[in-house]
Amino acid sequence: MSPLTASILWALLLLIAWRWRPPQAATLSAWVLIIAFGALGACALWFDYFVHPEPQAFTFWKPTVVYWTLTAIMSIVPPLGGGYPAKIILGNYFALSNREWRWINRGFALLCAVLGGVNLVAASEASYKDWEGFKFSCMVLLLTIVLFRLNFVWLPILAEVSIHLYRRATAAYRYLSRLFSS
Amino acid sequence: MIPAERKPDHIAQLVWPGQRSELVTLAATGKSGGAGEIFSIEGRPEFVAKIYHATTSQAVLAKYRHKIQWMVEHKPALPEIPAEYQDIVQLAWPEALILRRSRFVGFAMRKITFDRTLELDYLLNRRQAAQEGFDADYGKLLTVCFNLASVINCLHERRIAIVDLKPMNVKVHKAELYVSILDCDGFHIDTEEFRHDAPQVTPEYLAPEFQDKAVTHPEAQDSFALATIIFRLLNYGIHPFTGVASDHNTYPLELAGRIKQGLYPYGKVAHESVRKVPASVHEAFPDDLRQLFDRAFAAPGYSRPSVREWVDVLSIYASKRSGQISPCEKGHLRFSDRPCPTCLREALIKGAEVRRRSFVARMQAAPARTLKYVRRTLRQTHSSPFQAALAQAQLFTFRQLAPPAPITTRNAIALEILWISGLLIGLWWAR
Repeated sequence: MSPLTASILWALLLLIAWRWRPPQAATLSAWVLIIAFGALGACALWFDYFVHPEPQAFTFWKPTVVYWTLTAIMSIVPPLGGGYPAKIILGNYFALSNREWRWINRGFALLCAVLGGVNLVAASEASYKDWEGFKFSCMVLLLTIVLFRLNFVWLPILAEVSIHLYRRATAAYRYLSRLFSS
Repeated sequence: MIPAERKPDHIAQLVWPGQRSELVTLAATGKSGGAGEIFSIEGRPEFVAKIYHATTSQAVLAKYRHKIQWMVEHKPALPEIPAEYQDIVQLAWPEALILRRSRFVGFAMRKITFDRTLELDYLLNRRQAAQEGFDADYGKLLTVCFNLASVINCLHERRIAIVDLKPMNVKVHKAELYVSILDCDGFHIDTEEFRHDAPQVTPEYLAPEFQDKAVTHPEAQDSFALATIIFRLLNYGIHPFTGVASDHNTYPLELAGRIKQGLYPYGKVAHESVRKVPASVHEAFPDDLRQLFDRAFAAPGYSRPSVREWVDVLSIYASKRSGQISPCEKGHLRFSDRPCPTCLREALIKGAEVRRRSFVARMQAAPARTLKYVRRTLRQTHSSPFQAALAQAQLFTFRQLAPPAPITTRNAIALEILWISGLLIGLWWAR
């Protein structure tokens, strides 16, 4: 799939997301994350389309940029009364108190700060292979979050969509049966 | 132009026993089988002609001629039937050779009136039999079994065996209950002056010792096939080697494999690895019949009951005077002093129907139940006692928050699209 096709599909999905957006007002955390990741996404598209090859310094800094951006968001937004970004990133399927979410948010911010720093150290000091290894081990962290999300959010959604489709199919079958039997 | 039915190909010579011959005209009936096509014979309405396909090689035709010639001259004596039923044909036995331009092309046999008969296959399903105008009960079925066994016994006495004995090859007279056996030209003949093999077999009715092998003892094969047919007739079409396996990995999918391994679950002693089909009524059969079935299916080939034994036992049940068949409270015929198989079957079917309806109701309610569960999961509004207890006790750090404003599935999908977009952007930056 070409980058252009992928971008168009992505834009379409975002359009669907906009159309199906929840009626409730988004929290400050949500807005900040949307704006920050929108900017990061636009930047990613810019580099994919127009900058070949990537400057080496940018490649080294990339993971640090995203980790420290997250650290910044998770550190700045809660004191402003905008909720806890960690709640949006991890998913609010666990019924935890605000106090508990505060500590999770802090821990997550600290972890991202450390990962961003370690990335710089690994990029400059370690071998290229070790740096690659570090980056992939960080992705395991993301995978854990994805698995939680898959189990607690995506599967229930999939079940609900399947049931909806099943009902539609059953209704269509009954309708067609009546149509052909009469 | 010569009309189709008057073409020279349709003029044939019938050669009766004693070499008496006559010229006849054949007319196509539109019925054909694997070996030949059936024609009616003008001026001889009580006969039909079987003409072998034109593709049959001369060598094969020569063998057929040899066999049919012998059969025409050696018609076996069959069980006697009352004078008023003399028109019933118990065996579609070749009665005359048919020659065309002096070359053998087929044979003539007595016509079986299909209007008065139905295939034995239909009797394996009571509803199907009823649709064909045959109201099956145990009295009639046992009579049919007895008549079939009697005809086969007469053949065996002349050292003739059917080999490919199966319900499709047998017709039953609906009112008189006599049977007609078709495809006689495929029989095995082993007399002192003549011998001809029958290579055609049907695996579902083939004895275990002949599975994947040539049939070396045709009478033993007939005994096995007859026992299988009788079992199926009396047990609502259930094949004696249909069962429920405890280990599905080693249970053959096809009946032939189960026959070969002797996986017969209806014996008086239960089989170790196969259970009976729940709808089976074999336990309502009398002991002598069950012993015969056990010997036919669960014992080695040499102890299999002969057709003669079947005739002897079935003659008792087929005779009204024996008193071995009597009506139950509901008026169904059953084996005397045994539970009524018809009532047993009805109870089993009714139980199965109740279970089926309950299952269907559960299945129909399942989507709604699941939807409710999923919605509660999405909205975090589970009201299970476990969660309620957690919320009240405050024992752990997990507790229920005030339920958030309900969101629909579409809203949830929209949020997940945004989340996945963020994830992909994060991955691009982190890699």
